Amino acid sequence: MKILLSILMTITFAFASDTTIQVIKKIDSLPSIAIEDGSSHNNETFKMKFFKSLVADLNVISLFNVDRRKFNNDFDTNEVDAINKNSNYVLKYNLSKNAASGFSVKVKMIKNNEVVLAKNYKVSNSKKYVFVAHAIAYEINNYMGEPSIEWIKKKVIFSRVVAPKKSEIVIADYTLAYQHVIVKGGFNLFPKWASKKQNGFYYTSLNEAKPTLKYVNTRTAKITNIISSEGMMTCSDVNSNGTKLLLTMAPKGQPDIYLYDVKTKKITRITKYKGIDVSGQFMDDDRIVFVSNRLGYPNIFSKSLNSNDIEQMVYYGKSNAAATANGEYIVYKARESSGAFSKNTFNLHMISTKTDVIRRLTASGVNEFPRFSRDGDAVLFIKNYKNQSSIGIIRLNHNKNYLFPLKYGKIQSMDW
Amino acid sequence: MKKVIITSVAIALLLLTGCSDKPTPNISDTSDSSQAKESFAVNTETISGDNTAVIDENANINADSNEMNMASLENKMQSVYFAFDKFTINTEMQSKIAAGAKIANSAASEFMIKLEGNCDEWGSDEYNFALGLKRADAVKKALIAEGVDASRITMVSYGESNPTCSDKTQDCWSENRRVDFKLLP
Repeated sequence: MKILLSILMTITFAFASDTTIQVIKKIDSLPSIAIEDGSSHNNETFKMKFFKSLVADLNVISLFNVDRRKFNNDFDTNEVDAINKNSNYVLKYNLSKNAASGFSVKVKMIKNNEVVLAKNYKVSNSKKYVFVAHAIAYEINNYMGEPSIEWIKKKVIFSRVVAPKKSEIVIADYTLAYQHVIVKGGFNLFPKWASKKQNGFYYTSLNEAKPTLKYVNTRTAKITNIISSEGMMTCSDVNSNGTKLLLTMAPKGQPDIYLYDVKTKKITRITKYKGIDVSGQFMDDDRIVFVSNRLGYPNIFSKSLNSNDIEQMVYYGKSNAAATANGEYIVYKARESSGAFSKNTFNLHMISTKTDVIRRLTASGVNEFPRFSRDGDAVLFIKNYKNQSSIGIIRLNHNKNYLFPLKYGKIQSMDW
Repeated sequence: MKKVIITSVAIALLLLTGCSDKPTPNISDTSDSSQAKESFAVNTETISGDNTAVIDENANINADSNEMNMASLENKMQSVYFAFDKFTINTEMQSKIAAGAKIANSAASEFMIKLEGNCDEWGSDEYNFALGLKRADAVKKALIAEGVDASRITMVSYGESNPTCSDKTQDCWSENRRVDFKLLP
């Protein structure tokens, strides 16, 4: 009996912090939260949009049972609406117009008639209201003592194909409610943020004689040509401090992975296989995962930047064509039907390099382009299903997926 | 015995789910209102208003006087098609390439040849772009074997982003797995 107990305890501790193990919570056990609007702003449509964004964010942080009804109540009092007396938390806010332009938001969270959290926000551009909702959700998550969800405040950058050989590069929030087209005209793909600060990005321009990697400073709109290559040129990943890039180039028609030093402009060839080696992603500063067809089909491999030893990472599936890495965890895209001649299903799966467990993250449709958040808390991905393109987010520790559809066009690639 | 097993399982389950339990928010003593106020000091956060610039890539594109002549020659050079997830050239396609090489070395001899690799819709990732490029590279090698000068040939891959057909049928998908010939001045 002691042995059985020890085994159970060992299993428990071994997997307690492993995100490949699914954690399933009961909705009923989550605390309830209601939202009360005490705005002096007179635009009802705007107020409703803001309310809906807050509801969506509170759902995504997965800590509450969110009441979707909108209540109106005076902001200045700490009394809550009679109907919300039994709610564990009440979030009150006051949207008001700024004297010049934009708007301000006062927000407070009330528990047992006491204010437990209060914040004020000032926004110069009303179109950015959704970022305020994200910032509020971020603060509430911190208050609840959960690991930080820095990603919720980050901007997503994506390329949207609008016609054959025509695309736009768009900066958005993770729900796609805010969208700003930053590069229009021509055929431009694979945008990638240049650093954590998100004040510049790289992208591939196919409008030149050779595919060219360009850099855009988003504050000044200045474009700099970085490097060109015959055939193919993409920035697959940027290291944690923005000093090194993993590029896929094909100077002689042969797609391989190269390391590019941003300061010295030195280029080092990382892979030398005669087939396809693409999509290098940093696991840490010295090790990458990448996609290769060296076994005759696309699959996920890893290698150190300082040696030629290559390790196969995935032993399941016969077509795994994309991956993202965060420390020991790898999320990859697997084709799950044999289909040259039928509709295909592509699902995302997660493995740990330290265990044999595979966790399936999606269930249907075409799910691709997985991208870990820097803190490893969430995975963003592209879903294409029945002619609609969406951005999806997977909360790994909460076992929840959310989809945010795009109104037109098809998302080709994205970063956040 | 049975009881002990059930208890063990219960303990294990409790511990397993333990990591997901949220700590109860720690609220300081609210009886002292001045202290409570201080701990909730409200900071105003400004949400930045950058990223308002728009870059127009069309500004760099110029029309070319040779366009008409090139377009008619391009139409005579037939696209080369490929099997699912493959970049090898079959014998039927080999004859198309030979015909293309003939035009490249006669009527189109003053132009550069751009080979555009394309794929079906199953994937927007880099692998699909690389597959399109390997297809273009296979056609390039075949053109060189037919006597076209390598220095006249450039390649690009458009992945799945340049379909000629957008239906959800196998005929349509196979039409998109192709290499197109384009002429450049």
